Amino acid sequence: MSYCVSIKRMNEILKELQKEYKVYAPMRFEKRGRYSDTDLIRYAEINSIEDVVYDEKSDFSPKEVIYPITQALFYFTEYEYMESKVDDKKIMIFVRPCDINGFRRLDTIFLKNGGTEDIYYKRLREKVKFILMECKEGGWDSCFCVSMGSNKTDDYSLAVRFGDDNILVEIKDDEFTNLFADEREVEFTPEFVTSNPTKVNIPEIDSHELLEKIYDLDMWESYNSRCISCGACTAVCITCSCFTTLDVTYTENGKVGERRRVQASCMHEDFTTMAGGLSFRKTAGERMRFRTLHKIYDYKLRFKDEHMCVGCGRCDERCPELISFPATINRLYDEVEKLKKAETTKDIR
Amino acid sequence: MSYDIDIKKVRRNCYRQSKVRGEFMLQIRVPGGVIDAKYLSFFQHIAETWGNGEFHLGVKQTISIPGIKYEYIDEVNKYIRPYIEEIEVNLCGVDMVVDDDGYPTIGARNIMACIGNRHCIKANIDTTDLARKIEKIIFPSDYHIKLNISGCPNDCAKAHVSDIGIIGITKTEYDYERCIGCKKCVEACAHHATRVLSVEKGKIVKDTCCCVGCGECVLVCPTGAWTRNPKKFYRVLIGGRTGKQTPRMGKIFLNWVTEDVVLGVLKNWETFSAYVMNNKPEYIHGGHLIDRVGYNKFKEMILKDVKLNPEAMVAQRVLWTETEYRSNFNVKPVTQR
Repeated sequence: MSYCVSIKRMNEILKELQKEYKVYAPMRFEKRGRYSDTDLIRYAEINSIEDVVYDEKSDFSPKEVIYPITQALFYFTEYEYMESKVDDKKIMIFVRPCDINGFRRLDTIFLKNGGTEDIYYKRLREKVKFILMECKEGGWDSCFCVSMGSNKTDDYSLAVRFGDDNILVEIKDDEFTNLFADEREVEFTPEFVTSNPTKVNIPEIDSHELLEKIYDLDMWESYNSRCISCGACTAVCITCSCFTTLDVTYTENGKVGERRRVQASCMHEDFTTMAGGLSFRKTAGERMRFRTLHKIYDYKLRFKDEHMCVGCGRCDERCPELISFPATINRLYDEVEKLKKAETTKDIR
Repeated sequence: MSYDIDIKKVRRNCYRQSKVRGEFMLQIRVPGGVIDAKYLSFFQHIAETWGNGEFHLGVKQTISIPGIKYEYIDEVNKYIRPYIEEIEVNLCGVDMVVDDDGYPTIGARNIMACIGNRHCIKANIDTTDLARKIEKIIFPSDYHIKLNISGCPNDCAKAHVSDIGIIGITKTEYDYERCIGCKKCVEACAHHATRVLSVEKGKIVKDTCCCVGCGECVLVCPTGAWTRNPKKFYRVLIGGRTGKQTPRMGKIFLNWVTEDVVLGVLKNWETFSAYVMNNKPEYIHGGHLIDRVGYNKFKEMILKDVKLNPEAMVAQRVLWTETEYRSNFNVKPVTQR
């Protein structure tokens, strides 16, 4: 069932929803962008439907709603500990199709990886219902969701199309039908992006020998000078899930504290540093290689169905050094094609 | 050829004497150093019609056109009338009568500025916008002032060597929850700025006292934990100068002040200058005026009716460090001032 809802009515419905749900959406933080007089768009709890930034791509992904950047796992004293709690309210998030597909990857990492469910992820994830936001035609400049097959989804409770005076809403989840009972019924299902200006070719890496050659490609070295290892790309990525765990004792009483986890980045110099100082990926190029292959090779090798990257392009938009991830993937594709060609020529000889 | 020219009158009109007798260089004001590109053909016309075909990018960001013969000055002044009208009156809102006599005074020099946040990734303020607002206050005045505006503490526009230097600074704000303790800001601050950041228990601690407000921490922060307070702040330097005798760096007069304070201070500049020079404008650097009456008198006069914002800090005193080409330069016989 679909409805045409005025902005005023939508705000009333939102108020009703907020009795049970915390509602998150991409919100504009004026002049909080990286550069002076630029805005930052990131997820936060909205107060009205006008808060939703629906006509721009958010700088940060919605992952931080259910996978907080800083999260206390438990608190401890000398003799006891207490697990952290989360808010009783359920959660609704305004998201794009690529993000919904991204959450499926996070689910795989946190819930279906190694036989143990991550309860800290699960306890928030269980509360979530998605409100799908339509993208503009073709998506945004840096989107390459179509290449990654993540431009479509049917995993949502509500879908919305924003207009100037009205919002079209499709309801797939019966729980919400009553809220819209008085609204005008219309024909509406969300339209998905079917072609992006940015396209990528994913290299097919079918042998370990080829993988070893890819490790040694010169292209990675170009990132030693280009990449500043800031980790902006992984911070905004919907599918980056790495964290570090640390015990923090409180300044006023060193016997009391908390164990917390904090998001981490494989692009940082110390990501692979071990006790004793051993480090596996010492250069920015090596770390770039790791991230690239993780997103378009390793994950699928392990979990089979799909690549990790969903092509949201946020890493591209957010990189302060103008390194494009789709361009990197395409560069790798070309290099792999060359390697394959060389191999074929060798075979003939 | 024999000339009988009142050089000072012509200079006041923004024409600088050439070593070639009877030739002058016109200095066209470009407040803040940014104007519409359409004026390039206008400058070209002046250079090719009345000048020697060249132009100089003036060190104070004027467009300077050399080789203009004295006898052409009236013609050139007529030609630049619409330019003065468009830039000074229409663009900057300067309260002045524009006639066929060219620039009315050279006293308040062209305001110099870096490109600022209209382009630069480091800048904290719109320097062009500020320069235009200040032009309205300081021009036209026969009282000399050199004023440089930099968008950030890198100070590319050399606020440190002008009478009044203005630097755009930012009060950065820290979101504890968004910080992942990656230390990128710590490294950036140590590398670019004053080493005020350190890590404690996986999060960042800041020594706010010594923060120069550059915003490098914001630029490098991957998670948006560091952001700029949307309110704009400024550092005001005074008394810097170049010169043959005692060049010196300007010193901090005000820190963390708002635009209203900056504009308020500049509104008092003319009154202060007139007071020091007994209402007779001379070409003397602002720093010398401050030296004559002392910093405390300067402070009292320049802050008159200026309402300081709560974050503002004011220098209690100023310790000048001059380049003394001769030691004891400042020790003079009682007969000299």
